[in-house]
Amino acid sequence: MYDFHSISLSPAEMLALNVMTLSLIMLALYRGESQLDSNRPWAMLSLLAIFGISGRILLEPLPNIQPVTMLVLLAGIYFGGWRALALAGTIAWVSNVLVLGHGPWTFFQALGWGAVGLSGAGLSGFLLDGNRIRVTRLAYVSAASAFLFDWIVSSSILLETGTSMIVPYLINGLAFDLYHAAGNVAFVAWMAVPLSDMILRHSADPAREAVSEVVAN
Amino acid sequence: MSDKLKSGSLLLLFAVILLAPVIQDRLSEEAIKYVADSESAHNGMPTEWDGKQVFCTLFPEDFPHAEYSTGVTMIDSSGSTLAVNEEYNGTGACVGGLEGFTHGLDFMLNASAVVGNSLSIGYDIGEWGPLVHTIGGINSNNITGDFGGAYWHLDHNGATSMVGIGDLVMSDGDVILWRISTW
Repeated sequence: MYDFHSISLSPAEMLALNVMTLSLIMLALYRGESQLDSNRPWAMLSLLAIFGISGRILLEPLPNIQPVTMLVLLAGIYFGGWRALALAGTIAWVSNVLVLGHGPWTFFQALGWGAVGLSGAGLSGFLLDGNRIRVTRLAYVSAASAFLFDWIVSSSILLETGTSMIVPYLINGLAFDLYHAAGNVAFVAWMAVPLSDMILRHSADPAREAVSEVVAN
Repeated sequence: MSDKLKSGSLLLLFAVILLAPVIQDRLSEEAIKYVADSESAHNGMPTEWDGKQVFCTLFPEDFPHAEYSTGVTMIDSSGSTLAVNEEYNGTGACVGGLEGFTHGLDFMLNASAVVGNSLSIGYDIGEWGPLVHTIGGINSNNITGDFGGAYWHLDHNGATSMVGIGDLVMSDGDVILWRISTW
């Protein structure tokens, strides 16, 4: 009998397999959302959490490129800071406990993504034009959010070292911040509008309606 | 606008993926300038190692190494034992007197190979580069106690290394020290 489990994949093959798996999950979530009644914010947040957790785990071979920052930013814009904070903590904790490794850094990741979600809530007036999402502005904010998140997580080294280490540590991490920022911009460019359409159906603000047009800034 | 952003974002992403390793090397060189070498990192070691590179491992009290369970054994680059320092705060081994290495992982693997398998290194390649899980047969994942978990912690010249061993840029006189930390 053929031993299918003994196949060893190269890192590139594994990444391709993971991307295909994530695409299947996204398709299933998209179809699942269309069957939900409108105005079900917690159900929508649950779908975002599943996407965030699976996206973070399956894209793990790519350094610092994952959709969570965009998701908590959108959650902050449409559902408010507290729900975004709940989403941030859930994604960080579940993905770390399941696969990526749980430790003190989980708290800082939840804090970092929570701060991104709160920023989204605070900047919702700047990022929305009535009921339309300003994608270009969102791309800029998502890039800045990468640095905000990474620097909050990097501050966890103060648990073990003095403040003199923080500057070289941040300098050394700038390349990884760039990965994160570029990944965020790509996720926003390709996914912000369809995700906004989905989220708007469950947003508590009845004045917002789902549209897929993009406002030129 | 949307189509431009989509194509532009992919171009940006590919550019960052291609250029980030080069940027990372430059940033590591810049960042190291902000970290002062600790002269005390050589304290307790043979004086002939001054200015030379040293690789040390301290094993946890409850999980001692079978061969290096008393003091810290000082081993030169030919594999000969020079001394055992029993005043050291811990037990383990140091391999020193090496020079010319610039890459942390390369240095560590070469230094550990001096003593055969007794300080052999086990590591996985993860998102952030090589992640050391085993030194000298002590796997951090197997260390349990009244804590959440344990890991091999890297010190560089007496202070916590700000990068993993895969990104560590070595200079003459550098001392790297591995010890178990917990959370």
